[in-house]
Amino acid sequence: MIKFLENKGIPGSFRDPSGFLFYRNGSIYRQVNAVYKNNYDLLINSNLYKTLLDERLLVSHEEIDTEGAEPDKAYKVLKVERIPFISYPYEWCFSQLKDAALTTLRIQKMALNYGMSLKDASAYNIQFRKCKPIFIDTLSFEKYHEGEPWVAYRQFCQHFLAPLALMSYKDIRLNQLFRIFIDGISLDLASNLLPLRTYLKFSLLSHIHIHAKSQNYFADKAVKKNNRKMSRLSFLGLIDSLEAIVHNMKWEAKGTEWSDYYQDTNYTSNGFGHKKEIVTKYLEKSKPNTVWDLGANVGIFSRIASDRGMQTLSFDIDPAAVEKNYLRCASQNEVNILPLLSDLTNPSPSIGWGNEERMSLLERGPADALFALALIHHLVISNNLPFNKIAKFLSTICKTLIIEFIPKNDSQVKRLLTNREDIFPDYTCNAFEHEFKKFFKIRDSEKIKDSERTLYLMEGV
Amino acid sequence: MSCFVFYQDASAYLDPGTGSYVLQMLIAGLLGALFFIKLSWKRMKIFISNLFSKNKDDKVFRE
Repeated sequence: MIKFLENKGIPGSFRDPSGFLFYRNGSIYRQVNAVYKNNYDLLINSNLYKTLLDERLLVSHEEIDTEGAEPDKAYKVLKVERIPFISYPYEWCFSQLKDAALTTLRIQKMALNYGMSLKDASAYNIQFRKCKPIFIDTLSFEKYHEGEPWVAYRQFCQHFLAPLALMSYKDIRLNQLFRIFIDGISLDLASNLLPLRTYLKFSLLSHIHIHAKSQNYFADKAVKKNNRKMSRLSFLGLIDSLEAIVHNMKWEAKGTEWSDYYQDTNYTSNGFGHKKEIVTKYLEKSKPNTVWDLGANVGIFSRIASDRGMQTLSFDIDPAAVEKNYLRCASQNEVNILPLLSDLTNPSPSIGWGNEERMSLLERGPADALFALALIHHLVISNNLPFNKIAKFLSTICKTLIIEFIPKNDSQVKRLLTNREDIFPDYTCNAFEHEFKKFFKIRDSEKIKDSERTLYLMEGV
Repeated sequence: MSCFVFYQDASAYLDPGTGSYVLQMLIAGLLGALFFIKLSWKRMKIFISNLFSKNKDDKVFRE
């Protein structure tokens, strides 16, 4: 787990001179700098803050009578509502990024009604609380001056429009470019990668292709001032145009490796039911507050935890599985589960300035309990990971482990070994237990009915 | 073509990008006009549907 320095700015909150987040006595505070005074007062006095709060679109805060972390610059100090788990755009599925984009535009439209406008449109300003997107940067609002274009237009296109278009028209995996480019996907890159047919859509032609050309053309040119202005109607037209493109962007969750996994398992219904019973029993024994389900697919087992009020993260490597999981959360208004995209063999690293702007997955843990169900054989046989390394890693991200061992005589393991040489003589139940006992204490284990598989409840030592 | 107004707010920190500014100015008129047509069309539809539903209500009331 990351340890923030007491009274120091939190990494990732330093670019905007309007203020910054800092950590004190276990709580997160936001210092509002004097330079932002007028805009902050307008946000509060215009009722925009209250309206956004009522619509559950902005995190709440409380003004605190205390000294800021940099008192000479401070105007106010706010105690900020904490988001249970910080996630990043490269961990979101298509619909999560789309909902984040639509939320940003909805906030921008509301802000305009109150005489304000967003001065940035970073995807990192959106988080998921109760599985719904929420804006977390209270200092992103500034007074709207009629005549001005949207200062955050370029950033919106780079953080939302370009990745969504690439995911929709080219390849769903291209949201991973977010991991490389901290300020979104450059429009010239997006324009190069997008198929030619996107030139036929006026919205994508103008906001991505011509936009990219315009950026390149004016990159080294000085622009003179005159009195040409962008009317409020045109400004609203721009936001409406962006909203329409994002709204019409589609991606259907099918055809990926794991998206139909549950139609393709070797469990009998009796065995599957028994597995659920054992997981439930182990959860009731360990009573965790937070659960991470690794390799969750569409989140069937995650929901055993989330339905019991446990804050559950449902991780999977497959964009279609995460998409289906998220759409179900959204349609059922589920509040305790958050599906996220994660490749366990290469989890999110810490990135950005000084490698500390965006936290690694490990820095955001550990979870009270972790599910590793029908996972171990993929790690060992498909990824050549030794038991020892798996046990060591899992012990760093959880306190309690609910793990399933699947032996070689299981049809799923046989399938993994069909087209490769079996170089795993140590892939046995005894070797598994031996290595895991170095990092965990086995509290319980039970064989799943009608199968060769065993579930374990383990506690970190 | 390359003549536009640049505002600088005291707390502005994001580089809007010259090309992005210029493009907004170029497409502003068209987007504004399209938005105006969309709004007018919506208002007209609401007006017409209200007109018909009012007539219907009146008819029901008379019956």
